[in-house]
Amino acid sequence: MNAPERPGSFGEQEPELPNPLPRPEGEFEALKKAWKAPRGISFITAVNNTYVGLWYVGTAFLFFILAGILALIMRAQLAAPEGDLVSHDLYNQLFTMHGTVMMFLFAVPAVEAASVYLLPNMQAARDLPFPRLSAYAFWAYFVGGLVFFGTIFFGLSPNGGWFMYPPLTGTKYSPAENADWWLLGIGFIEISAIAGAIEIIVGVMKTRAVGMSLDKLPVYSWAMLVFAVMIVIGFPAIILGTLLLEMERAFDWPFFIAERGGDPLLWQHLFWFFGHPEVYIIFLPATGMVSMIVPTMAQTSLVGYRLIVLALIATGFLSFGLWVHHMFATGLPKMSLSFFSAASTAVAVPSGIQVFAWIATIASGRMKLTTPSLFIIGFLFIFTLGGLTGVMVAMAPFDWQAHDSYFVVAHLHYVLIGGMVFPLFAAFYYWAPVASKHALSERLGRWVFGLMFLGMNVTFLPMHITGLIGMPRRVYTYPVEMGWDALNLVSTIGAFMIAAGVAVFLFDLARNFRFTLEDNAGNVWNASTLEWLPNGTYNTRSIPSVVSRDPLWDQSNLSKDVEDGRYYLPGTATGGREALVTSPFDARPQYILQVPGPGWQPVLAAVFTAAFFLLLTVKFVFTSVICGVLAVGCVIWWLWETDPGPVRPPADIGGGIVVPVYVTGPMNHSWWAMIVLMVVSGMVFTCLIFSYLFLWLVNPGAWPPQGVRIPDWIWPSLSALLYCASAVLIAVASRQLRGADRRNPRSVPILIGVALLLVSGAAAVDLWTQWGTNLSPSAHAYGAAVYAIVSLQIFFVLTTFIMGIYTIARWLAGRLDSVRRTTFDNTMLFWYYTVGQGLTALLVVHGFPRLTGGI
Amino acid sequence: MSGRRTGQVLLMLAGLIAWAVQFTVIYGVTSTLCGRGWADATLFGFGIVPATIVSATLITFAATAVAVIWSIKSHRQNAKRPAATTDGFMSHVAILINGLSLVVILWHGISALILPACA
Ligand code: HEM
Repeated sequence: MNAPERPGSFGEQEPELPNPLPRPEGEFEALKKAWKAPRGISFITAVNNTYVGLWYVGTAFLFFILAGILALIMRAQLAAPEGDLVSHDLYNQLFTMHGTVMMFLFAVPAVEAASVYLLPNMQAARDLPFPRLSAYAFWAYFVGGLVFFGTIFFGLSPNGGWFMYPPLTGTKYSPAENADWWLLGIGFIEISAIAGAIEIIVGVMKTRAVGMSLDKLPVYSWAMLVFAVMIVIGFPAIILGTLLLEMERAFDWPFFIAERGGDPLLWQHLFWFFGHPEVYIIFLPATGMVSMIVPTMAQTSLVGYRLIVLALIATGFLSFGLWVHHMFATGLPKMSLSFFSAASTAVAVPSGIQVFAWIATIASGRMKLTTPSLFIIGFLFIFTLGGLTGVMVAMAPFDWQAHDSYFVVAHLHYVLIGGMVFPLFAAFYYWAPVASKHALSERLGRWVFGLMFLGMNVTFLPMHITGLIGMPRRVYTYPVEMGWDALNLVSTIGAFMIAAGVAVFLFDLARNFRFTLEDNAGNVWNASTLEWLPNGTYNTRSIPSVVSRDPLWDQSNLSKDVEDGRYYLPGTATGGREALVTSPFDARPQYILQVPGPGWQPVLAAVFTAAFFLLLTVKFVFTSVICGVLAVGCVIWWLWETDPGPVRPPADIGGGIVVPVYVTGPMNHSWWAMIVLMVVSGMVFTCLIFSYLFLWLVNPGAWPPQGVRIPDWIWPSLSALLYCASAVLIAVASRQLRGADRRNPRSVPILIGVALLLVSGAAAVDLWTQWGTNLSPSAHAYGAAVYAIVSLQIFFVLTTFIMGIYTIARWLAGRLDSVRRTTFDNTMLFWYYTVGQGLTALLVVHGFPRLTGGI
Repeated sequence: MSGRRTGQVLLMLAGLIAWAVQFTVIYGVTSTLCGRGWADATLFGFGIVPATIVSATLITFAATAVAVIWSIKSHRQNAKRPAATTDGFMSHVAILINGLSLVVILWHGISALILPACA
């Protein structure tokens, strides 16, 4: 184990406290006032990470219960042979919805939600850097998720299985709207997950306690960082996939229809590029939680911190590769199987490292057998067993049909429930005292654990055998003579035991959980990390400086000093909400971020965005478009209040450190968010180019197909020229907008305006060129692919257009000048991205067929 | 992010990036050749598929080996400056990650070579 590291970056041995006592009169009151939550109906406009985090966790848990109820119905149906509780079609909807809701509406949101609550507290940040963005992500998920779930009551739920393979989900076999609900509903919820991921990345990198350098970052923060990066890389693939399938269904663009040059395999590629890492996306945050809980329960520092960081980063990277490896080594049809088995086998090395680190930690301390500890032991046991069956699935010599049996259902539940649900329950019991007046009951907790642990094994252990004796998954009933009845009955009893465990948990919540911040139960476990400091809506009274990874153990009197306001920024410098932004590596204070407060904008924007997608599903195109416009309007209204500029001179936050209240350029938090957004966009685009190349690969001699003419090169060149010219104008505008004196030169809006015309012209020329060759998007996959690329580009140009107009409006309103220019910078970055993407698109669409000469 | 920090992050992730490159090359070339039925094509008497796998593996392996040496060197330097805890941490993790990447690259290269390419 490493010796505890002392502060290097600050050079002090025992840090002098930065602020003296007594604190000035009214300082604390001003802080409290700035962070006061809205009351009455406006309560839902709260944007604090604590409020939003709690609602978010609650909603995710609600979906766990709802999907669990669906599971119970399925188990009731299967309890006896020839059951007639539900029809065949309803059963299909049930397992599809159960799988989809558990994976997309429970597992990912739950871990993201927990981090909205925990991350800022653990890093002693006042809030996440974009509180309104998390509020938006939450409300979008809340509304969209509930409506999506509601379809089950109308027989409209998707029924194609949670991975929605075409051609089964194409219009030919699924003409009804069930599949559209999946595509639009899930596609939309993924967007909300990405918004959350951007927030997490910037939050972990830029809002930490002073001195919390990378080597002192809590493991949970590392896990969430890797998690968020994985979402940013992996989710665009599924978003693109759903987009393509929806375009096929809506406009008959044949991406997946083999007769017209499409290929259903393309869907599987896109799905599994996301789907394989998905298991780790769920699993990593859970391990992050375990790495926080184990040291507390053992009352000793975590062993092997650096190895764990290695394991997290390596898992993040490698999980993306496993997909391809399995795909080309074993062929695609076996993917769905290798998906779950590889989830447990290939993660072996990094997971192994983590497990050893936990065991070593437990061994070097003295583990208290509390409820969280029990859930962690349960997790280790179940997850390991799931890993073993994973190896069996991979090696067992039975054929593919037998693989698609209840053995797989058993295995995947061992991995998912063991790897994610148990750590989450450990986390509920462990962190409840942070947000509640009382801790949850240890006595009831043992019952919850006992019922869930036994129930889990009673349900799924027999399923291994049910599978081995031949019961296939996804069947709605089975005949008496198969001899599957006894085992199925046992499984059903087990499922109801799990349900009983969850019911006891709900009872415990109802009895003991009373949300409060100032008045919480406090550090009941004697934990070492900052979320256990005394807190309020503003989080901690002052922002501590830390010298180790276990500040509460190593810095005596830390809680008291923080609470007395003796650390940094004990009040508010600008009179409003603010967070201290620190440097990404050493966590030195950089500037004060003026955080936006509560507002209706994110709530309304989310509701309208959800309405846009949901109405589109039921083909109310006109109303849907209106909602779309309203959503954009709300976003603009929301942004209008941001980018406040330097409202006061740099402020003293204590210890002689003076920081500005506004910065622009690469240090700025929204610059970082823009970069992440560009990575997301770049991934969507890359997946689209991949799809283009994939379709080329399956269409030898038909790229372009007979009779399709490639446009003359002069037009793409013109388009490229226009793109470049617009970027140059923006660069000129940026130069004009420089300087320390607050100038707002008149040339800036004019330059932006002209650049807007150029960039729109560029996209228009390209669209017009393709149209001019009579290329049809629905005749062949070639046309579909070309128009998909062109359409995506038009979407980006349209977004650039709105941003450009918005930037001009800011200038006209006097909200943009050479100092207060974050809005301009954001537009500029996005602009450059759009131009780069446009040029690449031209190169591929016009260059590639020429290069290959039609082969 | 300063240039020095960017360099440190790149060094920390070098092995995994090399692995990603190896992967993309092997996967891209193999699936293209298999998809079009050109898997038996040869170049100067070598099968293109095995030649790609071997060269991609050797190059990325060598690059990662260099990254390992570099991270060890920079870790030694950081050890001499006790104030630089963040640097020391990053160079240490760099050694671990690049070391693991060596194994991973070799592992993937060998399995790609042994398994039938287009099965
Ligand atoms: C809590 C108790 C749970 C029970 C009793 C349960 C039960 C079931 C049942 C009966 C099926 C359908 C099997 C079939 O007909 O093929 C199923 C499928 C599935 N479950 Fe669960 N489940 C539970 C929890 C979970 C959790 C926590 C997750 C994920 C986080 C999950 C993910 C899935 C998935 C992905 C499928 C496959 C759906 C498909 O075939 O498309 N389950 N589960």
